Amino acid sequence: MHRQAIAGALALAALLGSAAAQAEDTLTVYTYDAFVSEWGPGPVVKQAFEAQCDCRVRFVALDGGVGILQRLRLEGEGSAADVVLGLDMNLMASARQSGLLAPHGVDLAPLSLPVEWSDDTFVPFDWAPFAFVYDTQALDDPPTSFEALIDAPDDLKIIIQDPRTSTPGLGLLLWIKHAYGERADGIWQGLQPHILTVTRDWSEAYFSLFMNGEAPMVLSYATSPAYHMAVEDTDRYQALEFDEGHYLQVEVAARTRHGEHPELAREFLDFMLGSEFQNTLPLTNVMYPAVDLGEALPDVFSKLIDPEVYTFPPQQVHRHRREWIDEWLRASTR
Amino acid sequence: MRGVALTRRAPLWLGGLAWLAVVGMGLASLAALLSRATLADAAALWRDPYLMGVVRFTLTQATLSTLASVALALPVAIALARRPRFPGRRALLRAMELSLVVPTLIALFGLVAVHGRQGWAAPLWRALTGEPAGYLYGLSGIVLAHVFYNLPLTARLLLQALERQPEPNWRLAAQLGLTRRALWRALEWPVIRRVLPRLAALVFTLCFTSFAIVMTLGGGPRATTLEVALYQALKFEGDLAQAALLALVQLIICLSLWALALRHGDATQLIAGSGRRMPLGRWWRRDAQGLSRYLDAAWLAGLALLLLPPLAAVVVAGLGGVPELLSRGSSLWPAMALSLVMASVAGIGALLVALMLLVGSAWLQRRERGGTAALMEGGGQLILVIPALVLGTGLFLLLRPSLGGGWQGYALVVLVNACMALPFAMQVLRGTLFDVPVAQRRLADQLGIHGVARWRWLVWPRLRRPLGLALAYAMTLSLGDFSVIALFGSPSRPTLPMLLYQQLGGYRWQGAAATALVLLVVVVAVFSLLERVSRRLPRYRQSLYWPGGAESHA
Repeated sequence: MHRQAIAGALALAALLGSAAAQAEDTLTVYTYDAFVSEWGPGPVVKQAFEAQCDCRVRFVALDGGVGILQRLRLEGEGSAADVVLGLDMNLMASARQSGLLAPHGVDLAPLSLPVEWSDDTFVPFDWAPFAFVYDTQALDDPPTSFEALIDAPDDLKIIIQDPRTSTPGLGLLLWIKHAYGERADGIWQGLQPHILTVTRDWSEAYFSLFMNGEAPMVLSYATSPAYHMAVEDTDRYQALEFDEGHYLQVEVAARTRHGEHPELAREFLDFMLGSEFQNTLPLTNVMYPAVDLGEALPDVFSKLIDPEVYTFPPQQVHRHRREWIDEWLRASTR
Repeated sequence: MRGVALTRRAPLWLGGLAWLAVVGMGLASLAALLSRATLADAAALWRDPYLMGVVRFTLTQATLSTLASVALALPVAIALARRPRFPGRRALLRAMELSLVVPTLIALFGLVAVHGRQGWAAPLWRALTGEPAGYLYGLSGIVLAHVFYNLPLTARLLLQALERQPEPNWRLAAQLGLTRRALWRALEWPVIRRVLPRLAALVFTLCFTSFAIVMTLGGGPRATTLEVALYQALKFEGDLAQAALLALVQLIICLSLWALALRHGDATQLIAGSGRRMPLGRWWRRDAQGLSRYLDAAWLAGLALLLLPPLAAVVVAGLGGVPELLSRGSSLWPAMALSLVMASVAGIGALLVALMLLVGSAWLQRRERGGTAALMEGGGQLILVIPALVLGTGLFLLLRPSLGGGWQGYALVVLVNACMALPFAMQVLRGTLFDVPVAQRRLADQLGIHGVARWRWLVWPRLRRPLGLALAYAMTLSLGDFSVIALFGSPSRPTLPMLLYQQLGGYRWQGAAATALVLLVVVVAVFSLLERVSRRLPRYRQSLYWPGGAESHA
């Protein structure tokens, strides 16, 4: 009974709160929580788009790209989402397979990515290579390849994330697979003595462990040092450029097939590649923008490593992910 | 006369209703997922060697963690009961209440800062063993973290049970000059025996379903629990059937344990206490003198060393970020308000349902239907063994057509949070509800005091303190919850834990640490406030009988 009372009270509050918004169209965007936070790109993006579209933007913050896709699949055709923003390349194939997304119809000419992009459903909005970030005060002579890391003394520890639960974790798995193919198994076995622990997600690895000085190297993004340099004003944390090249993370958005405002959604995807949206990304999302910002790109980004990058085609990842994770499990528990 | 009969049966109706709601919800959400599984899936699952390894590891770590937590909690609780007054006792109790509700990520931060390879304790460890401190990673780390979480809870609830021991018993023990061993046999063990099986089952379930701690401190995929496999299936593979089957395996294992616990923690021989606590003063306890003083001091110091440094690490880290949080953090106050509202609703909800279940179970017990009574009580624990992820997803599937706006998401979060807090509320409340002494009960029966009046004068004065504690636990559990709210998502207005994760996602370590500190302060405030409110004396003053007896020492 009390549940109905709660529901009633909440409904009333929601009605009062949204009464003002009823007049205009509302574009619903499913995204991840860091995007909509006070420090993320969300607030700026919302304000800028609302100024041009004569509509309201409603962000629904979910638990990462995986959470967005899961929610979309659970809701199916009844989903309230007009736009999903924050999937990554490795989720593209399953997202496409759901049949819930529509072609974007956006001109991709402004794109400036390190890889070719011609997908008709997904529009990339930012990218960064995965990389190990290291503490320059704790490590004088850091390894510059997986093989050098394997050969390093056993007390050189790294913190990584689990490919079963974390996006960078899966990124590392694909990175090693791409660089070493059939030999990936051996690389993983060689790395075992150096792995301090495998965390559930990036926050635990970076915050609870790396920032506490537990290990001098952590799996993160090549762009992470940009935040430390630009906002915290310290050069202490730097990314390592590996000889094998780096695996690329690309974040994408798409519009839904059954959304109420398909036109508005297309307009939003267009806006996403414009300078107002893209300018906010480098220091809020700490990623490279998907278009060439020229002078507007913060200076610290020129101090980052500039490695060779690559990815598997999304379809290939989709087909082999389970098998590769099992392979990793066997190599790591042997 | 019919009216009276109906009133008399009211407890049964209330309990039954609550039971149906809770169990129905749990099973329905599981069924919503299971409906997508086939028999072939189940067979394949059973033969999967990976999964068998996962089950084995989950059982091992949960058993070890439970044994360590409970075995260490016993002497701590006894020491605390024996020392009703020492400087810092109240602060220590507060810290014990904190540890359970600290969000995992924060607890991890604190534990790493103290016990990590570069932690505060590392030089000490090196000096003692000559080795670098690596004990935080691996099974030892998992057990340490679980003891950090569960020992304080166990000791706190054991203490509550010990303190409810009828006062005349202590007087008699003092007059007879009972020795330590005799006291244990005559007074302490009988109370402890009654609560221990359930407590152990509770701790076991918590450790069994532990997730982030096991992964982060486990050192690698060797340390994989069923919850990890479940998370992987549900979120990454989008494989609802597999997730449901895994949840079912978890459910079966934990439920059989609970069945065992409910059978052995016999609730039929409840000793009716007077409701008064044992009087203060050392002369009441001969065993409180001599060597035991040093022993107790050692146990309590050990508890403080386990609990306080990690919490202190969080506080220290957080203080640095407070200026930034206050100057820039416009999200902080709305987040705190939202968190408090949601936690209050969830807490009160959990409390109401817990009371309904307990009243129903007591009614059955008085009529010697112990089996049914245990079943009714067990219903409250069911949610504990259904992973929040499964409960949430199942409910989501069931309610989907009508689930749209943001407030429904919040309501769902509150509902799941209330269910998750239910077992804790019941653990605190059970027993206290039926402790009305036989003499008083008979008197009330003779005078025909039933219904509201009986509650007001007989039950309420005894219930208010445990009620305060139960509400505090229930509220703060949902205050610290992140898993459920992350599942349903929110329209840009974050709760405190969400704010914290948002800050982490945006590299705002300082701000995140400060938010964690604020969360800790809120939890302390909730416990203190509820303790203060529930401590107010009932109308008839116990101090007329026992000078100083009504003084609180909690």
